[in-house]
Amino acid sequence: MKRSIAFLTVFVLSTGLWAQGYTHSLDGIKWVKIESKSDIVVKTHSKSQLLIKGKTTDPIPEKAKGLRLVGDDGTDNTEVGFYVFKDGNDLIIRNLRKMDGGSSEIYLPSNQNISVNSKGLNDIEITGFSGEIEASAEVTGNITILEATGPITANSNTGNISVTFNKVNQAAPISISTATGEVDITLPTDTPADLSLQSTMGEIYTNFDLSVPDKNGLKAVSTQKINGAINKGGVKINLNSATGNIYLRKKQ
Amino acid sequence: METAHIKDRLVDYLDGTLEAYQREEVKAHLDSCAACSQELEELKTILSAFKNEAMERPSASLRTNFYALVEKEKKLDTKVLPLQVGKGRKTKEWAMGGVRMAAGVALLVGAYFFGKYQEGNTNMEQIGNLRAETLEVRQTAMLSLMENTSASKRIQGVNFITEQDKLDTEIIGALADRMLYDENTNVRLTAVEALGKFTSFGQVKDAFIKALKTEKDPTVQIAIIHTLVRIQEKRAIAPMRDLLGKEDTQPFVKEQIESLIPSII
Repeated sequence: MKRSIAFLTVFVLSTGLWAQGYTHSLDGIKWVKIESKSDIVVKTHSKSQLLIKGKTTDPIPEKAKGLRLVGDDGTDNTEVGFYVFKDGNDLIIRNLRKMDGGSSEIYLPSNQNISVNSKGLNDIEITGFSGEIEASAEVTGNITILEATGPITANSNTGNISVTFNKVNQAAPISISTATGEVDITLPTDTPADLSLQSTMGEIYTNFDLSVPDKNGLKAVSTQKINGAINKGGVKINLNSATGNIYLRKKQ
Repeated sequence: METAHIKDRLVDYLDGTLEAYQREEVKAHLDSCAACSQELEELKTILSAFKNEAMERPSASLRTNFYALVEKEKKLDTKVLPLQVGKGRKTKEWAMGGVRMAAGVALLVGAYFFGKYQEGNTNMEQIGNLRAETLEVRQTAMLSLMENTSASKRIQGVNFITEQDKLDTEIIGALADRMLYDENTNVRLTAVEALGKFTSFGQVKDAFIKALKTEKDPTVQIAIIHTLVRIQEKRAIAPMRDLLGKEDTQPFVKEQIESLIPSII
């Protein structure tokens, strides 16, 4: 009896730290829209459904047993601290945890179109998607997108945006902008693209050949606006920062 | 062929409907003409944008209902009313048949020549209409792209417009709507840049002034301010001063306004 109670306690504690995954079908869903105030990590998995692994920094208090988490804009209907509902062809996923409430993980199939919106001081990390990605940080979040293919639109107010492309989808444009953060983009060397790089008060650095004078390694291009084609031109890539620097690198 | 551009053959070129020698001509021209190769790339993008436009698929139940209906219709169709052929009227029937046949032939021949005549008349007109239609199709494509649920597609729509020489008020209105009301910052930013090319229109200037008053994102604010300063729009000074007085205006936006206001004379 004692042992089973001990076992149960450990079980309850561990599920508190790493709540069970929540799954939801993606039938008829065109866009998955994620909103969060705490850090969010979006990854791909081979299943065709949504999986959320809610994570909290503090264990859920014993007193909360039988109660549900309530946030600004919804009530937990997933038991992992999220409010999930269908809105037409969209699946809305709201993380109800407060700021610094731990970094939850969301898993989706790689071809899913996703929109991720950070509403606090939190960071967004997105890895491995070939569908469209829209990412925005309304306050001060950093946005990191890895193994990207585009199309991407990303915007952060004061955070940095870093995107590493595996290859670049030529079907629709890529647009990345920040107000005061840095934009750091890595493209495969052979990417055909029409580039438009603009920084009002920051500087622009690249090691792609944009026919401008060389200043060993990355080149300081200009503080205003650069339009140029690489590899004979292709899809439009627009990088913009009001006061931050822009870095455009070749993938090593 | 050496100097003439081949823009009007590009669609056929992409569709693969040109004769072999024509293909070679177009290819040769494309290698030497940057303008035409660019046109080709744009055409490819716009055509692929059409193709990639997600088709709304009917549900499976709708499909089975459809087949069920077809089956039902087929069954109804089999109940064909038999022709009543009266006895003793056979010879008359035969004679009538001959007349009918002759009339039929006459009608057919007449229709053929009439058609020929019409064709000759309308060929030139049709070509003109087709040109206008292609333009219209492009416009419709741009307008519909700008309403797409994907921000990237909306940006694509805005980019296509930037490449047009002539715009009508409907397109400019749609562009201004993107700048003023699009929920995505990057789309608004792209629309600001696009409209910056058409500031000779009063409608565009008004939209910029309105956007300066409503825009909250600092990146877009700066782009709007730069455009208004470039065109020396005096009506921008008052709303710019308002932004200086607002607490939620970012410090570097204020800095830009302060350094730029004096350059509007």
